[in-house]
Amino acid sequence: MKLVFYSGGDPNDNNRVDKKLLTLANTENPRMAFIPACHYHSEEDYIDFIDQFHPHGVRQFMKWDIDTQISPVVKNEVFESDIIHLGGGNTFYFLKHLRKLKLLDDLKKWVLKGGVLSGLSAGAIIMTSDIKTAGFPSFDCDDNDENIKNLKAMGLVNFKFFPHYKNSKRYDQELMAYSRKLNEPVYACPDGSGIIINSHEVIFSGKVACFLRGNKFFINK
Amino acid sequence: MSVVKKVKKKNNSYKKFDQIDGSHPLKKVIPDGFIDYQARIRLGGKLVYFNFELAKEMGLIPKSHENKLNKELEKKIMETFSIQIINEYDLMHNRTFSDKLMKSGKYMATRYLQLQHEDKKGKTSGDGRSIWNGQISHQNKRWDISSCGTGGTKLSPATSKYNKFFETGDPSISYGCGYAEIDEGLATALLSHIYHANNKSTERSLAIIEFENDISINVRAHENLIRPSHLFLYLKQDDFKSLKSLLDFYIEYQSKNNSEWKNCPKNKSKYQFFLNKFCHTFAKLSANFEDEYIFCWLDWDGDNILMDGGIIDYGSIRQFGLYHSEYRYDDVERFSTSLPEQKNKAKYIVQTMAQAVEWIQSNNKPTLQGVSNHHILDDFEKEYELKKNENLLYRLGLSERKTKQTLKRAEKEVLEFKKIFSYFELAKSHRGRVKVSDGVTVDAIFSMRNFLRVFPQLFLHRGEELSHHELLEILKTEYADDKDLELTAYRKQKLSELQTKYLNLIQKVAIIFQEKIHDTLINLIKRSIVINKSGRVTGDAISHIVNLILKERKSITVEDMFEIAKKLAAYQTLDPDIVSEHFEDNPKGIINEAINIFNEYRDGI
Repeated sequence: MKLVFYSGGDPNDNNRVDKKLLTLANTENPRMAFIPACHYHSEEDYIDFIDQFHPHGVRQFMKWDIDTQISPVVKNEVFESDIIHLGGGNTFYFLKHLRKLKLLDDLKKWVLKGGVLSGLSAGAIIMTSDIKTAGFPSFDCDDNDENIKNLKAMGLVNFKFFPHYKNSKRYDQELMAYSRKLNEPVYACPDGSGIIINSHEVIFSGKVACFLRGNKFFINK
Repeated sequence: MSVVKKVKKKNNSYKKFDQIDGSHPLKKVIPDGFIDYQARIRLGGKLVYFNFELAKEMGLIPKSHENKLNKELEKKIMETFSIQIINEYDLMHNRTFSDKLMKSGKYMATRYLQLQHEDKKGKTSGDGRSIWNGQISHQNKRWDISSCGTGGTKLSPATSKYNKFFETGDPSISYGCGYAEIDEGLATALLSHIYHANNKSTERSLAIIEFENDISINVRAHENLIRPSHLFLYLKQDDFKSLKSLLDFYIEYQSKNNSEWKNCPKNKSKYQFFLNKFCHTFAKLSANFEDEYIFCWLDWDGDNILMDGGIIDYGSIRQFGLYHSEYRYDDVERFSTSLPEQKNKAKYIVQTMAQAVEWIQSNNKPTLQGVSNHHILDDFEKEYELKKNENLLYRLGLSERKTKQTLKRAEKEVLEFKKIFSYFELAKSHRGRVKVSDGVTVDAIFSMRNFLRVFPQLFLHRGEELSHHELLEILKTEYADDKDLELTAYRKQKLSELQTKYLNLIQKVAIIFQEKIHDTLINLIKRSIVINKSGRVTGDAISHIVNLILKERKSITVEDMFEIAKKLAAYQTLDPDIVSEHFEDNPKGIINEAINIFNEYRDGI
């Protein structure tokens, strides 16, 4: 599997992760598709996405608003991409629409066939087994306006992902409490850092905090 | 009736409101062009909308003012705008009102030409349920303010038709009773906010005051509320003096207040300058209305539009999601014009204005037929065609600079693409004419906005053309059934042509600007996804959103309502050169529901 987890931040912050993502595609002219978490203001996010990867030489882009545009032509084309990028936003809303179109399975199959899947924030959380990390910290969490009960996501990795991490007590308390209940690590990434998975190889780009059974330590200090 | 003296204590923060007292320079210019009414404060109203940003632009509240209502501000707004005229019926029935409620100023209902009045000369027509609150100026800008729903005037269609005066609110008549309704007020507030955010000239809603039974007073403002029909009235009545006075006033007003008029001559040449401006404005607006699918019931009377091309009277405005070129509004006694007919109506308005200008310049009134070969009509055609071509390239995603160069250097490719683009844009359902809630139409079946947004992305991503079937999938809308979508040999040929002509044009643009074709496409896509956004507002969508707001209105404050208008306008800002305010990542509550409505009704009427 080829997966890239972005936390967030400006294109400049993510330059290193971008380069690694493009390397995974293993082609000179990768085709990239962008699936925003919500069509609301997604034009701006898409333009930012193009501006982020165009300077790296990418020149084949497309966007699919899954919550408004259910065209089989667009869907088929997206799955012809070398890289599919899941955007950031409200994780609950995003999950609801991915599930509604049965895209969780489709994307999983596509990844298993060799496609490179990347996600930013909400998009990255959705690549893990569930989206519980979107529900905290209490002071900065996604609202579950959609009242989603089934939080199961794609389950592509055996860790949890926590984006926009800030090295502070407030975050740590909640993350440590959460990790006590788990048998797998929670990787908390500050904006600009990320995780790159290429088959069995895991690369941490930038500083990443790992929370494991109530303990915290840093990778790449 | 005596007039109330001054209120005991003045609030200095809101003293500008006191200038809105019915006075307006037009009263001196055309003494016979209006009916002046006394007015009284109308009690029982509730402020439901106030455009804080507009109020700041107008100097009514300080720039630093929070977008929040306070008791003093609310009181001032209500004292200024919650008014009802003392009309002829009231006077005939010797109605008296408390001195405390009487306003000191008089408010004019202006006369203008309206085709629905039988005499066709404007002797009985004009502001039938509106008055002009007055004019204020702030930072070298003047603002005309008028209110709709302030009582029935003698210029209402009902008085003209039945030859008697009506009591304001008389339930036996609807259109003409002098009241306005809350739903039309809200629809105007939302749509005008959206149009203003997209840099369109339009009246803007300043305030809405609601009364029992869904009645309201809707207050609007614009830099200049004069319509062509204000002038045409005098043309039809052979009143040279008033016509010249009003035109001179308009020209002077524009020269002082509009930077585009700074080169306007002071001598007699000013009339030609004005006519050129007027012609260009109306040629451009008719091209824009057509290409943006804006239905505006233009007609020979020059009503429903402002002299500067600004939109007024949103009851006559609709925005379609597709080129529903056969839609006609059913106004009981007549059907409206259709989208493509608007151009000739606009041209006719220009021709009528040319008649007025010729008369003023020569002191010899030509017939309308006599100016049918006026050079200004050729200018109109040229300007219209140029704007249509510019609009097409804009919709494709070309910047203004690239549009100009492309039209100069790739006219052949532009016209070839335009031809095939029009073929699909005009395609209609085999079902023919169907009735819709307020009129008739023949459904358009293809979305060219989808084509312009999605096709370049698919082509860029794939690097090759789409199959006929795929292209049809992109173009089709919910109005198309299997029969409409049949892939005949002819349709296949047209689909191939659509792609080929599009790509030929893009290739040419790439050559002109010495770019690689994928870079040209990427630049186009970054603009066309904004311009051709999927969930663009339609008339149907606005009606549903207004119903939604009305259902929830008890829990919506004035501040909430303003925020709703702002957020919807930000979502609907489809100009890639405008950086609109970005709100929360995920819309909530009414905004969320409104956005779903925008998407649900995106292809509608």
